[in-house]
Amino acid sequence: MKGIIAIIKKEFARFFLDRRMLITTILLPGILIYVVYTLMGSVVSGLVSGDSQYAVAVKNMPQSLSPLFSTVQQLQITDADGNDDDYKAQVEDGRLALYVVFPEDFDEAIADKNDPAFQTLQIEMWYNSADENSSLAYSLFVGVLDAYEESIANLFDVKDGGYDLASDASVTSYILSAVVPMVLLVLLFSGCMAVAPESIAGEKERGTLATMLVTPVKRSHIAIGKIVSLSCISLLSGVSSFLGLILSLPNLMQGAFDGFSLSMFSVGDYFMMLGVMLSTVLLLVGVISCVSALAKSVKEASSYVGPLNIIVIVVGLLSSFAGGAASPLLYLIPVYNSAMIVTDIMALSVSPLAFALTMLSNIVVAGLLVFLLTRMFNSEKIMFNK
Amino acid sequence: MDIVLSVQNLKKQFRLSYKQQKLQNTDKKVITAVDNLSFTANRGEIFGLLGPNGAGKTTTLRMLATLITPDSGDAFVEGYSIVKEPDKVRSRIGFLTGELKLEDFFTPNYLFNFFSELYGIEEGVRNSRKRELFSRFGIDRFAEVKLANLSTGMKQKVSLVISVVNDPDFIIFDEPTNGLDVLTAKTVTDFLLELKAQGKTIILSTHIFSLVEKICDRAGIIIDGRLAALDTVSALTAQKNLEDVFFDIYAARQGGAQ
Repeated sequence: MKGIIAIIKKEFARFFLDRRMLITTILLPGILIYVVYTLMGSVVSGLVSGDSQYAVAVKNMPQSLSPLFSTVQQLQITDADGNDDDYKAQVEDGRLALYVVFPEDFDEAIADKNDPAFQTLQIEMWYNSADENSSLAYSLFVGVLDAYEESIANLFDVKDGGYDLASDASVTSYILSAVVPMVLLVLLFSGCMAVAPESIAGEKERGTLATMLVTPVKRSHIAIGKIVSLSCISLLSGVSSFLGLILSLPNLMQGAFDGFSLSMFSVGDYFMMLGVMLSTVLLLVGVISCVSALAKSVKEASSYVGPLNIIVIVVGLLSSFAGGAASPLLYLIPVYNSAMIVTDIMALSVSPLAFALTMLSNIVVAGLLVFLLTRMFNSEKIMFNK
Repeated sequence: MDIVLSVQNLKKQFRLSYKQQKLQNTDKKVITAVDNLSFTANRGEIFGLLGPNGAGKTTTLRMLATLITPDSGDAFVEGYSIVKEPDKVRSRIGFLTGELKLEDFFTPNYLFNFFSELYGIEEGVRNSRKRELFSRFGIDRFAEVKLANLSTGMKQKVSLVISVVNDPDFIIFDEPTNGLDVLTAKTVTDFLLELKAQGKTIILSTHIFSLVEKICDRAGIIIDGRLAALDTVSALTAQKNLEDVFFDIYAARQGGAQ
């Protein structure tokens, strides 16, 4: 036991006293994710809602439509009475966002819409799809036209746009449960990847692991000490990234995500979340440590771990598609179970049995990995292969 | 006489990869690094293992330190088998070799404490030993400096101190003066003699003949994994100096082999 504690203390000292490692592994991921997603959110919302105005030239503006367009402030509409080609040239070189030509007797023709001889009217529009402003002006304009068309030929409506019975909480959790598990797995994995190869393959490469192996401390204690301490550090890194992600979600989704609040989860949900994350990290660190022990250098270890990362991403994706699990036995599959249980927690529909099976399975597999790592520490072929 | 180390028919073979076979220009898939080696070391003596590079010295010492296991044969340290009771052997020995490194990130003070903890040494005992050893080697001034920032000589002194952190009665030194300047080398050899004076048993591997002549009580000459000579240093050097004795044995071996 003393050996385990000594190893854990050493790993913590190695990590927490090294300011560079602390910043790059724990602080930066969370902050970066938060900043990047927030920036992305504000850029996207700037595109959608922005205050920019688009110059639109309209020929033969019908009287019936002109009040409708005046309510759309982004469209600066001017009457066009010149040559079509001039306006087209202006749209092409970006001075004008959009050029529209209505048929001359638009209103009169619409008034006769029930006449059997009525022919669909043609409105001509010129825009530049390579120019963002022009595209947006085009969409806005077409939107107004569609609304008008609907209003004059109105046969039925969905009253008030329908009544959504979902609470804000369930909408939010539906979105979260689709996205979060995969992202969470990836973040946890990258946290583990940042510390485990360095601590196992790195120590082997530098010859410092061998120094520990000549002391009477048990190999199994070294393995447990390493996996426990590395898991704690990886978990911190994962939690940091995860917080960055969750906190930036409202900024990223802007208006589209109004119902979002972290308060919809109970304290129990958060504890379950933490439990799943810890057991998953134990497992991932175990796998990465064993793979790293096989490698001769940190570089080699990283190249071995790369493909594992892809597997984790695929498993995370699978769980998003799979939806509710058919059999509780599926919760015994490591990594996949973590993704599913996170989905369940986010969807506010986690079953205690599934949670217990997940924890049990992850911890048992992590235990097996500790055993395997111990065997590897004992093997001179693996520890001293030059 | 009190036998501390008894090596019995120790044998170790290494498999050569195809690449290694090509490099060494040989068809042999297996090389024998240590071949039926037997010798003993008595309490309170410095036993020298002398041999050219690749003779099997380091492999022998690594087996004694339980880092690798012999293919056959066994060795007993204070009666404990290196094969069956490696844990007991580990807690009774000190091992200094170039391939065991200390983490550059830590300070001598931290490392001493860490390894003391791994050996389960009490804090009081640890602190007094640390004070004594650090001042003996002048490490005290650098106790809180990261290893990465220390000179080669100072690093070797720290390694030396850490290797005897558990105050072992049986110490294995693999080329302890390699790469050191004469002053630092002297501190190391003085320390070996001091340990001997305390009644400790030391196994020393080296290819420096003068070192063996100066400090060893007995010496074994290893060539190609086999013991070519074993006697007290005074008996070995009765007629010629050790270097000439070695050349004679080596020439005889080569002659015999051809």
